[in-house]
Amino acid sequence: MDPFGAPPSSLSGTQASNEHMMGQLKQQLAQAYAEEFFSTVRDKCFTKCVPKPSTSLSGSESSCITKCVERYIEATGIVSRAVFTALPR
Amino acid sequence: MDPSSGSTAELQSFLEQEKQKAVLNELVGKLTDVCWEKCITYAPGSKFSSGEVSCLSNCAQRYLDTSTLILRRFQNMQR
Repeated sequence: MDPFGAPPSSLSGTQASNEHMMGQLKQQLAQAYAEEFFSTVRDKCFTKCVPKPSTSLSGSESSCITKCVERYIEATGIVSRAVFTALPR
Repeated sequence: MDPSSGSTAELQSFLEQEKQKAVLNELVGKLTDVCWEKCITYAPGSKFSSGEVSCLSNCAQRYLDTSTLILRRFQNMQR
């Protein structure tokens, strides 16, 4: 999807095209953030939970991955709060 | 009033806002990465220990302090 592409013909006027563009951009940013987060979490949890890959993921590896994902999300929240309290407002 | 100038301003402030969000988002992502490595030494459990929570929080804030300190150092070197 091209964020700077022409708006559909049903929308006309600068106002509508602006809103359309902003909506698209927001959506694309959200997707980019989510993809990057997924890639980071996958990396972190693979390193932590699958130190020696074998022919399949074991039960304990799977449950480690599940917990690891939850903890990484929690860690992001903790860091985020720490940053926001530290930032001059 | 020129209608297009209003909407350009609107777009600009929207982009500025999104840019700021992107910078913060990247900062939080980077800090979480660094502090996860430093603080979470064992395979993650069902709950963080209180030590892990305070380590993550302290790590993030000290990283910012470090950043400020180094920036100041660099600024002094330029004089």
